[in-house]
Amino acid sequence: MTNQTIKTIDRVNLTLKTRHRAEKRFRLYGMVSIAFGLLCLLFLFSNIIGKGMRGFTYHYLILSVELDASVLGITDPNDLDQILAANYSGLIKKAAYRYFQVNERKAKKKVRKLLAIDGTGYLLQNKLKQGNVSELLGTKVTILALVDDKVDYYLKRLGEPDEPGKQAFDDQQLRWIDTAKEAGDLKHKINWAFFSTGDSSHSEEAGIRGAVMGSFYLLLVTFLLSFPIGIAAAIYLEEYAPTNRWTDLIEVNINNLAAVPSIIFGLLGLAIFLSFFGFPRSTPLVGGFVLTLMTLPTIIISSRAAIKAVPPSIRQAAYGIGASKMQVTLHHVLPLAMPGMLTGTIIGLAQALGESAPLLMIGMAAFIPEVPNGVSDPATALPMQIFQWFRNADAGFNEKASAAILVLLMFLISMNILAVWARRRLERRW
Amino acid sequence: MTEIKGDIVVDQKTTMTTNNKVVLDGDNDKTVGEPFVENAKMSMRHVNVFYGEKQAIFDVNLDIASNQVVAMIGPSGCGKSTFLRCLNRMNDTISICRVDGKLFLEEQDINDKKMDVVPLRARVGMVFQKPNPFPKSIYDNVAYGPRIHGLADRRSDLDEIVETSLQKAGLWDEVKDRLHQPGIGLSGGQQQRLCIARTIAVSPEVILMDEPCSALDPIATAKIEELIDELSQNYTIAIVTHSMQQAARVSHRTAYFHLGKLIEVNETEKVFTNPDHSLTEAYITGRFG
Amino acid sequence: MDKLNINQHISQQYNSALDDLKTEFLALGGIVEQQIIKAVKSITDVDVDLAAEVMAVEKEVDKREIVLDDLCTQIIARRQPTASDLRLVMAISKATRDLERMGDEANKIAKMAIAISESETLPHGFSELRNLGRQVQDEVNITLTAFARYDVDMALQVVDKDEEIDREYATAMRELITYMMEDPRNISRAMSIIWSLRSLERIGDHAGNISEQVIYLVKGLDIRHKTADEVAEQVSQD
Repeated sequence: MTNQTIKTIDRVNLTLKTRHRAEKRFRLYGMVSIAFGLLCLLFLFSNIIGKGMRGFTYHYLILSVELDASVLGITDPNDLDQILAANYSGLIKKAAYRYFQVNERKAKKKVRKLLAIDGTGYLLQNKLKQGNVSELLGTKVTILALVDDKVDYYLKRLGEPDEPGKQAFDDQQLRWIDTAKEAGDLKHKINWAFFSTGDSSHSEEAGIRGAVMGSFYLLLVTFLLSFPIGIAAAIYLEEYAPTNRWTDLIEVNINNLAAVPSIIFGLLGLAIFLSFFGFPRSTPLVGGFVLTLMTLPTIIISSRAAIKAVPPSIRQAAYGIGASKMQVTLHHVLPLAMPGMLTGTIIGLAQALGESAPLLMIGMAAFIPEVPNGVSDPATALPMQIFQWFRNADAGFNEKASAAILVLLMFLISMNILAVWARRRLERRW
Repeated sequence: MTEIKGDIVVDQKTTMTTNNKVVLDGDNDKTVGEPFVENAKMSMRHVNVFYGEKQAIFDVNLDIASNQVVAMIGPSGCGKSTFLRCLNRMNDTISICRVDGKLFLEEQDINDKKMDVVPLRARVGMVFQKPNPFPKSIYDNVAYGPRIHGLADRRSDLDEIVETSLQKAGLWDEVKDRLHQPGIGLSGGQQQRLCIARTIAVSPEVILMDEPCSALDPIATAKIEELIDELSQNYTIAIVTHSMQQAARVSHRTAYFHLGKLIEVNETEKVFTNPDHSLTEAYITGRFG
Repeated sequence: MDKLNINQHISQQYNSALDDLKTEFLALGGIVEQQIIKAVKSITDVDVDLAAEVMAVEKEVDKREIVLDDLCTQIIARRQPTASDLRLVMAISKATRDLERMGDEANKIAKMAIAISESETLPHGFSELRNLGRQVQDEVNITLTAFARYDVDMALQVVDKDEEIDREYATAMRELITYMMEDPRNISRAMSIIWSLRSLERIGDHAGNISEQVIYLVKGLDIRHKTADEVAEQVSQD
């Protein structure tokens, strides 16, 4: 038999080549998948960041305004109502005509189109409210007047090939913009108001603070409710509950709840909290309740996993020394499981932060310009705000929406960092 | 000598004879040797343990003498660990496990459902197979028991308990300069001695050891064995071990378990030179197991 | 009681090491037994060649004793024997020494045979010598068989027999002393016989020791330095 004379090692060598090839192929599959994922992520980020960064900045015209009491219509500098109701637009229009040196009606109209008169009026109003009105009246102040969002759109894309946004202006307006630009009176800077104001129907005035605060209150309610409830439920199920048909049923249901579409939770919230209990609509309180329902399964499941991961030897050691069940749980199981529990909670909260469907059902998609000051004020949330802005036809709002996405992403990233940090901080090796 | 233990009359002299009441059903199941002693710290009578439907321990009767080391040996799955865990009700943590019979710690039946396991485990401490210090400092590991049982009112008392416990466990000199470093930083043998220190910090009367050296190297094992010998002057010790040599080295009496039955109990010298039961003989000479 | 061969060890090597030890021991026993037979024959038949043959074997016996000791040490070091295995090793370790001594005594008898052959007249006491020699040979044979078969009853026979031999020896001694007192010129020759008898008696003692080891090996009882009645009682009790 010739076959038997062939040594084992020779046979092994024969198969080696195919084996190595298979090995390489196998590794390649993995690398390709990861590369695909990375590419998608890279595309997404570059797209969002490219668009979103524009949303954070705005163009301003340096305008010198004379605070003329007669134009403003203020007779008593101490009367707040007069200050609030004063005719700021007139003042700004006057300053603008002077800046562009126009007199006839047609040109004046064209000038008015270049500036966001109302938004600039709020700036002026704020300035008066904060300062000493009687002293300021009659003086000349320099303000950064908001340009119209079309001008901002055009200016932000000046270098681009087919000059988008140019067709909105006639030659005269374009000349004015160029002159102002060359004179250095057009300033491109970060729009801080974006972070400090609520929503608005004008894109140049719209800010994200309302949505951010709304999301914050939502998450606060969600965290305060879901964390203790989730952990208590997990501890009970893991440490105390007997294993019988009932606990099995509960376990199956919790696992299923985690997979229920979130809009169902919205319906549930609508039916229970709004219709039955009569809580106010559009409030972070109700939103938090709904998101708690949605987050709980995630927290319970991850907390149970964390409790299960505590080595039984530690538990035995504590029992063996005479610790009671509660002492074992509080002194040993909980501290060791806490990093896992926190991670699960933060991941659950991050999910809740990005959730919009259930909020739709309880009316958090409404237009709410005021910044909420508590959990019972009407509010909207970041994802809802993004959706609304994107839906708006105005180009300025689209930019803001991208910027808001960036803000949301920042929140998510910082929450994840918090999760990692908490895990590192609390985790102890055993 | 006759004494009353529960509902059983134990006649020490006639242990080996068939008219003794403490025998197992059927002649083959009789425990041979001397399962009963006069100065018993713990007495187990008619102990049966079930895991669900499966019976793991069959009618075991055994005394553990005060200030003695009893070794329990036998092939894997013979129930020796299960039996050991009955002695401080550690089997309670397994929901499907049921223990029948009477287990006396001195005069108290510890298998009584009304018996609180917390004080029981303070009296009957346990050291486990794998060193399992808490993920805390060395000091906190030892101080944990006294703290939860409220054994020390003042910090200085606690310090003293920690020091004496570590000294008794022969670990003090090695760790006195790093009491506040994590217990997990110690070597395996040191960790196991830390666990022993943790156990004796609550001043138990009985210490149960479940294969305490199975994860240790021979030198660390020798140190633990030396420690067991010293501890036996003040404590009653029951040790389960896979190593027959270890049983031979550390114990005064040896109990041989086989398939959930207690086959033979005798003085260790007797078991290892001339056991009474052929199964014991076959096991300790390495003919099966 | 057949627990010594309940079944095999898990370790085949351990099994064969113990088997080797026993085989080696019994082989040495056979050699020594032959040595004793030949020594007695050499003196009663005044056969110098046979005596020389006995003395030549002495080296072989010494060598085998060392080999046996080494085997015992090896088993203890490597296997840490317990219970019956431990008793087997201990018994063989002790019995080997007895066998070696028996060989030495046979050697002495052979030397005496040569010494006697150089004298002209045949001394008195040959019949006693032959008689005692046969009994001792029997005893040695039973001892070794008892060892080979782990037979306690046979071993007990040896213990009984030893006392008989002692009595026989005392009678022979008295006779030879009388003979020496009759004619002091016979003393040197008679002494040779006495030394031989003495050696035979010692061989019997050693055989008794080995029998005691057999009882220890099988029953785990230490019956050394006890009277025959005590021994019989103890053995039957177990």
